[in-house]
Amino acid sequence: MTETATRIPTSLAAVRERIAGQSSSNRALLLMAPLLAFELLVFVIPFFILLRISVAESSPDFVYAEGTVSLEAYASVLTSDLVWSIVGYSFLIGVIVTVLSVFIGLFYAYAIWRSTGLIKSLLLFSVVLPLLTTLVIRTYAFQPLLSPTGTINELLLSLGLLSEPIAFYPGTVAVVIGQLYIVLPYAVLAIYSVLATMDWHVVEAARDLGASRPRSILEVVVPQAMPGIIVATVISFAWSVGSYAAPGVLSNNLTFAIQVEDMMYGMRYPEAGAFSVLMLLLMLACIAVIFTVLNRFGGEFDLA
Amino acid sequence: MHRETLETAAFRAGYLSLLVFMLLPLLVVVATSFSGTGRLAFPPESYSLAWYGEFLDSVRWLDAFTNSIVVGVGTALVATVLGVTGAFGQELDDDSSMGRLLAPLVLVPLLIPPVILGITLLMYFNEIGLRGSYASIILAHTLWATPLVYFVMRSVFSRFDWQQLDAAQDLGAGPVQSFVHVVFPNVQHGIFVGGLLAFIISLQEFVMALFLSTPETQTIPVIAWTEIRQALDPVVSVVSTILVVISIVGIVLAVVATNLEWLSKQLS
Amino acid sequence: MSEITLSELEKQYGDTTAVEDVSVDIRDGELLCLLGPSGSGKSTTLRMIAGLEEPTSGQITIDGIDVTAQSAYERNTSTVFQDWALFPHKTVLENVAFGLKMRDVPKEQRRERAESMLERVQMGGYGDEDPTNLSGGQKQRVALARSLAVNPDVLLLDEPLSNLDKRLREDMQIELREIHEDVEETFVHVTHDQDEAFTLADRIGIMNEGKLIQVGEPTEVYENPANRFIEGFLGDTNFVESEVVRVTDDAAYVETELGYELVLPSDGAPDVAEGTELTLSLRPEVLSIEQDAAADAVEGHEQPVLADGSTVNAVVGTVENVLYRGSTVRYSVSVNGTSMFAERTGTNTGALTAGDEIRIEWEGTDVLAFRPDGSRVTL
Repeated sequence: MTETATRIPTSLAAVRERIAGQSSSNRALLLMAPLLAFELLVFVIPFFILLRISVAESSPDFVYAEGTVSLEAYASVLTSDLVWSIVGYSFLIGVIVTVLSVFIGLFYAYAIWRSTGLIKSLLLFSVVLPLLTTLVIRTYAFQPLLSPTGTINELLLSLGLLSEPIAFYPGTVAVVIGQLYIVLPYAVLAIYSVLATMDWHVVEAARDLGASRPRSILEVVVPQAMPGIIVATVISFAWSVGSYAAPGVLSNNLTFAIQVEDMMYGMRYPEAGAFSVLMLLLMLACIAVIFTVLNRFGGEFDLA
Repeated sequence: MHRETLETAAFRAGYLSLLVFMLLPLLVVVATSFSGTGRLAFPPESYSLAWYGEFLDSVRWLDAFTNSIVVGVGTALVATVLGVTGAFGQELDDDSSMGRLLAPLVLVPLLIPPVILGITLLMYFNEIGLRGSYASIILAHTLWATPLVYFVMRSVFSRFDWQQLDAAQDLGAGPVQSFVHVVFPNVQHGIFVGGLLAFIISLQEFVMALFLSTPETQTIPVIAWTEIRQALDPVVSVVSTILVVISIVGIVLAVVATNLEWLSKQLS
Repeated sequence: MSEITLSELEKQYGDTTAVEDVSVDIRDGELLCLLGPSGSGKSTTLRMIAGLEEPTSGQITIDGIDVTAQSAYERNTSTVFQDWALFPHKTVLENVAFGLKMRDVPKEQRRERAESMLERVQMGGYGDEDPTNLSGGQKQRVALARSLAVNPDVLLLDEPLSNLDKRLREDMQIELREIHEDVEETFVHVTHDQDEAFTLADRIGIMNEGKLIQVGEPTEVYENPANRFIEGFLGDTNFVESEVVRVTDDAAYVETELGYELVLPSDGAPDVAEGTELTLSLRPEVLSIEQDAAADAVEGHEQPVLADGSTVNAVVGTVENVLYRGSTVRYSVSVNGTSMFAERTGTNTGALTAGDEIRIEWEGTDVLAFRPDGSRVTL
């Protein structure tokens, strides 16, 4: 008698739990639905459309010739010397800017982490403020600085370090500097957000055990900051390879972004699509490589 | 410690010169907005407020200003709603397959070069007939703004004591009620910060806006771009300076708002 | 094994003085505990020995060599941190071998030494573990092994046991002592826990407000404290305020807030004058409780020296509270309105309850007296 009496309450409780659990996870799904729907509608589907357009024939009047399927866009893109030289140049810019932004970003994030009070606020401010300025204008601001008649040249000439002005702008140097200025705040913040959670005592322990200051950073700080470093690298790389404003304003060279826009306005949408897909795949490959290489450094590494 | 003092000096020199590098272009922007001549030279040859006047007289710029605000507010609203509900749902989720998919899906748009996004969405919006509307730009900007709101809210929610929710339900509050009365008051400044970030991102996003806007919906960065290509007059700097001031004011407000709350909690 | 000398060490942070005029000779192979409340400067002093903080002035020598100018990585000191500070991205073995790696010891040798070190702290076989998965006690041992692996001149411990729960802490204290005896190195251990200091230390250095007040063996500092602060910091005692009313060749007579006049016998004339205010310290272990308040009762407020010349002091009071603590029972007693406490070990029969009248007595020579400035009166 007592057995049945105790069994019923437990099974009721179990059922209630199951229902409560279900409604909670149902609620969770319900809440996440709008965001998922948004991503699907505004991101995933458009990309399929991009793919679709890239395998169509181009048309002078519409985006693409309706109902056609053809690989002519890919053929034209893959066999074009211009395209490949542009790809090379874009990736070159991407690599240079990424390397610079990660190293400088790490240095600056470390400086922010270790500083206190006014200096810390000032340094953080100097990283956040550029993000609040129009990208166009802060890229454009480098023109008066880097032109042959500009500030930097004047400074170097007056200091006697140069005999003739160098045309940083227009040119690749200006593009690199301009693009670096665009991605650096993101790199710094990505790395800093990881550093901020780190325990300083661990670095002290390394020094206490005989690691010099630079070595302690290499052995302890860098491996732990790796997640932030990876984010910084990927963002810098992706945005620099596909950069538009910096090359457009600060040089006369062709990068992927500029060329693809050109294709588009020339009513060669399928080609633009094909080029984009090509770039995306190449970038994806590079990012995968970056990821595996950097993850190796997330632990112990022997220099000896 | 000789070596250490050398290291410290080099370190200090390093980050101070970086500080200068970070702030110099901004100085150029502000300085040129006060330039007396029509050229964008730095340092300016003379100073005047003429260009601020020009800006206020220019219909085109004021239109662009309005457009930017409209798009910005729209983006902030949509991104906030999506980001908050998504993050909240993720918190309640028991590791469902949809839940695990969400975070990466939300993140990926950030990694795609904005050019590709711009072109893709241009073609897409053409197909579905949204070409040339505010909605097209707002949706594009939301792609970039939502991840930020989402992650800010994730970290806010993770620091929230969820037992309060249990306590509220235990006392008889339904799911909506408990969110409104218990969760929301505690996370509202997180929501505010997220919305603010979304607004700022939208305000200065350039590439996607360039592709998706029409002459009626051009935002400030787009006009700045065309102006720079053609006219080279310092009104661009004026606009940028104003935008920076607006953004700073917004940030200060956010800080003050959160601190006021904290302050009033301490006082009561 | 090394001896360390601290000379007039000082550390200032802006306007605050964290450490002032600390001088001590730490003996070869001893375990010295720096004991003091939070903010007493003990951790700062330790960090200066380690080279993690630079002294504002003063000198540190190890085996006669001035190391004050050397930075942490140049010195052969090794620190065990309060939160253990294990490297989360390295395995346990890599952690322990780290110091050896910094000294360019070849890989194979490193592994061997690290593994033998782990054995020594009873963590053998844990080499491949992720340190973040270990329990507090295990992390503690790994940190110890890591610091010992480099054969430091001195091992510095910055409250490493504070984050462990009570039972584990007590076990680790004993283990630490055993390791100290085993490795025969000089240890400097910082703690705010008096019991820990008494368990571990060969000598204790008591610090307060940046100054090193007294250094001595545990029995020495407990029974012969240099000032009132130490007396109050170590263990529990009754502090009774009093004023000197009469001074003789061999005693001082004081009127106390207990409402009784008490006698403090001394070796020769005590160095106090009539009217001097003194704080008396009556430790519970010197007090005995007599239940029979009737016979030999001391009435009123007179406390004469008893006829046979003994210097037994006694007061009569009423029990207010009984606090049963397992091995002891503590009685809070009201003596003419002033509260004091006395204890009995739990097996004493005749349990008292609130409201009982009792007599508390003690030998006059067991009392310590302190002047208003905290200094001790020699009696």
